[in-house]
Amino acid sequence: MSLIDALPSPALRRRSWHPNSVLLCLSGVMLASAWLFSLVSVAPNRIVTGTSFGIVDAIGWPGAALISMLFMAIAALATVPSQGHYRAILGIIMLTLLLMPFGLMVAGHWLVDASMPQARLGIGAAYWTVLFVLLLCLVELRLRLGLSRWWPTLILSAIGAVWWGCAALWLGNLALVQEFQARDTQFYQAVKQHIALVSIAVGVSVVLGLLLAMLMRRYQRLQKVAFALLNFLQTIPSLALFGLLLAPLAWLGANVPMLAALGISGIGNAPALIALIAYSLLPMVRNTYIALEEVSVETLQAAKAMGMRTGQRFWQVRFPLALPVLLEGVRITAVQAVGLTAVAALIGAGGLGTFIFQGLGQAAMDMVLLGALPILILALMVDAGLGALADALRPGGQE
Amino acid sequence: MIELSHVSKRFGDETAVDDITLRVAKGKFCALVGTSGCGKSTTLRMINRLIEHSSGDIILDGQSIEQYDPVKLRRRIGYVIQSTGLFPHWNVARNIGLVPRLLKWPATEITARVEELMGVLGLPVGEFAHKYPHQLSGGQAQRVGVARALAADPDILLMDEPFGALDPITREKLQDELAKLQSRLHKTVVFVTHDMDEALRLADHLVVMRDGRIVQQGSPLALLQQPADPFVDSLLGGLERGLKQAALTRVKDHMTSLGPTLPAQSRIPTDFSLRQALSMMLRDHCDRLTVVDQNDMPIGELSLRRIVKEAQLDKVSQRDA
Repeated sequence: MSLIDALPSPALRRRSWHPNSVLLCLSGVMLASAWLFSLVSVAPNRIVTGTSFGIVDAIGWPGAALISMLFMAIAALATVPSQGHYRAILGIIMLTLLLMPFGLMVAGHWLVDASMPQARLGIGAAYWTVLFVLLLCLVELRLRLGLSRWWPTLILSAIGAVWWGCAALWLGNLALVQEFQARDTQFYQAVKQHIALVSIAVGVSVVLGLLLAMLMRRYQRLQKVAFALLNFLQTIPSLALFGLLLAPLAWLGANVPMLAALGISGIGNAPALIALIAYSLLPMVRNTYIALEEVSVETLQAAKAMGMRTGQRFWQVRFPLALPVLLEGVRITAVQAVGLTAVAALIGAGGLGTFIFQGLGQAAMDMVLLGALPILILALMVDAGLGALADALRPGGQE
Repeated sequence: MIELSHVSKRFGDETAVDDITLRVAKGKFCALVGTSGCGKSTTLRMINRLIEHSSGDIILDGQSIEQYDPVKLRRRIGYVIQSTGLFPHWNVARNIGLVPRLLKWPATEITARVEELMGVLGLPVGEFAHKYPHQLSGGQAQRVGVARALAADPDILLMDEPFGALDPITREKLQDELAKLQSRLHKTVVFVTHDMDEALRLADHLVVMRDGRIVQQGSPLALLQQPADPFVDSLLGGLERGLKQAALTRVKDHMTSLGPTLPAQSRIPTDFSLRQALSMMLRDHCDRLTVVDQNDMPIGELSLRRIVKEAQLDKVSQRDA
C-alpha cells in the first residue's frame, strides 16, 4: 500500500458527514403536518362538530412563516450536528412549546365570535402532532446531550406552568378550558381520587409483592403456581374482572355486616381496588422476584463467609442490591395502575376516568380530553419520579 | 492452629475431597496448590463451614469446628476472595468495618480500626474511604478485601485465589506486600492458588492436591528437591525446578569469607536470591561474585562451583535424612 492510500480522500470526508436523521425526519413531519392538517377548529357549542381551520387561517401568514422557520432551523441545525447545535435545537423546541399557547390565543381572538358565549376553540390534528413530535425531539436530544432524567422533567414542568397560566388567564374560549371551568371542583376531586386509588393499589401490591416473592424464594413449588395464577389474572380484560367481582362482593356486602361497614359492596372503591391490586401484582412480584434472585452469588457467599446471619444477609445485602430493579417494578406497576384506574370509573370508583366515560356518553370529545390529558401527565410524572429514584438508589451512583 | 484429620467431602456420589490430613501450625502460611477442580477450594471452605465436611475431624485451637456456632466461627476467621466479593453498595470504609460491626464494636473503635488498616494496606483514608468498589482498580479492591478480612484481628486467615484476577505486575506487588504483612502479623494462613510461583513465594508449608487427595506436602524447598511424582514435578516446573529452588535460597547461605585472591568485579547484596546471583554471573560472564552488605562493603564471596556443589550436598543430606 502506498502512502497516498493512507491520506484521507475526498470520498472518505464525504462519508464522515453524518446528519442527525432522526431530528431531520421529525422536523419534516412537523412542517408537513402543520401545513396539511387543521390547526384549530371552531364550534358554536359543545356538541356540534366544529369547522376546521388550517395554519394560515388560524395564525395568519406571519405566524405560519415564523413556525415554518423554526422547524426549518431545526432541520438545518440537524444536518450538521454538534453539541452546540443540539443545544440550539433544544432552545428552539422550548421556544416553540412556549409560543404554542399564544398561537391558540391569536386563533381564538380572530376566529371565535365574541358575541356567542357558547362558541369554542378546539385543538386540531396539526397542533397535537406537532406537540407529540416535539416531545420525541426532546427524547432524542436528551440522549444526544447526555442529560439526566431531571432536566427534561424540569423543562417540561416550567413550560407546563406557562401553559397553565395562559389557559387560566387568556384562553377562556378554548373548549378544554371551558369544560374545566364548568366542573373545576369535580376535577380536583377526581384528581385526588385517582391519586388515592393508585397509591393504595400500588402500596398494597408492593407489600404483598415483596411477601409473595420472599415466599416463592423459600418454597419453589409455590413459584410455579403463583406465577401461573398471576399470569392468568393479567389476561382477564379489566372490564371483565370488574364484572366478575361485582356479584361476590355485592353478596358479601349484603350478608356480612362487618364488611358492609368497611364499605365493601359490588360497586365503588372495593372492587376497583381489588382488581387494581390483582393487575399490579404480576409486574410487582415478577420484578421483585427477579431482582432478589439476580443478586450476585459471590457477593452473598462473601456475606456468609464474613459471618452475617440469614436475616442480616437479606436486609443488608440482598435487599439493598435488589432495590433498583425492584423500584423499576414499582415504576412499571404504578404507570400501569394510573392507566387502569381510568377504567375503574365505570364501576363508580371515581377518578379521572369519570370525565372520559361521561364525555364519551355525551359525545363531548373535549370532556374526554379533560380526563385523558391529566392521566397522561400523571403517568409521565410517576414514570419520571420513580425512574429518578431508582437511578439515585443505584449502589454508589453506579450506572 | 488448624488440624484436618481424614477429612472427606462427598457431593452425592462424587467425592470432592478424599481423606485429607493436614496440620497448619500457629503463625504458619500454608498454600494449597493444584489444578482447578482438585478440591482445594472445597477444603478451604470446610474450615469456616461454608461447606460442611462429610467425615473426619477439623480441629481449630483444640476444639472441633462442629462445636462452634458457624456464624461465630466465621466472624473469627478472616476470609479473602477475588475482588468480586466486596459489597458493591457499600463504600470502602463500610466494607472494611463489616465484621467489627457484626461483633458490635463501639463506632469510634470501628472507625479507628478501619483507618489503621487502610494505612497498613496503603490506601489513603481521605482518598479511598468514601469510594465504592466499582471505582477501584483490581489491586485496590483486593487490598480492601484483605483489610476487610483483617478487620476484627482474626488469628486465622483463609484466602481463596485472592490475586487470581489481577495482572502479573499488580499480583507480584501484592504478593510482596502480603509476605511483608505476614512477617509482621504472624497469622495462621491457608491460601488456595493454582499458581505454583505464588505458592513458592509465600508459603511455609506447601500442599499439592490432585483429584481431592493430597499428593505431597512439605516445605517448598523439600518439594523442589524431591517431588514425589511426575505430576508434582511438572507443577513445580520440571526443568525450571533448579532455578526455582535458587530463587528461594539467599546469597548469604552460600557465601564464603573473602579469600586471598583478588575480589571479583561484580557485586551482589547479601539478601538477594541465588537465582539473581546466577543471572548476574551469566550477564557479567564470570563465575565469582563479591557479596556486599547494606553499606556496599565487601563481606564475602560467592562462587559458581560452590553453589553447584552445595546444591548436590543438600540433595544428599536430604536423602540421608
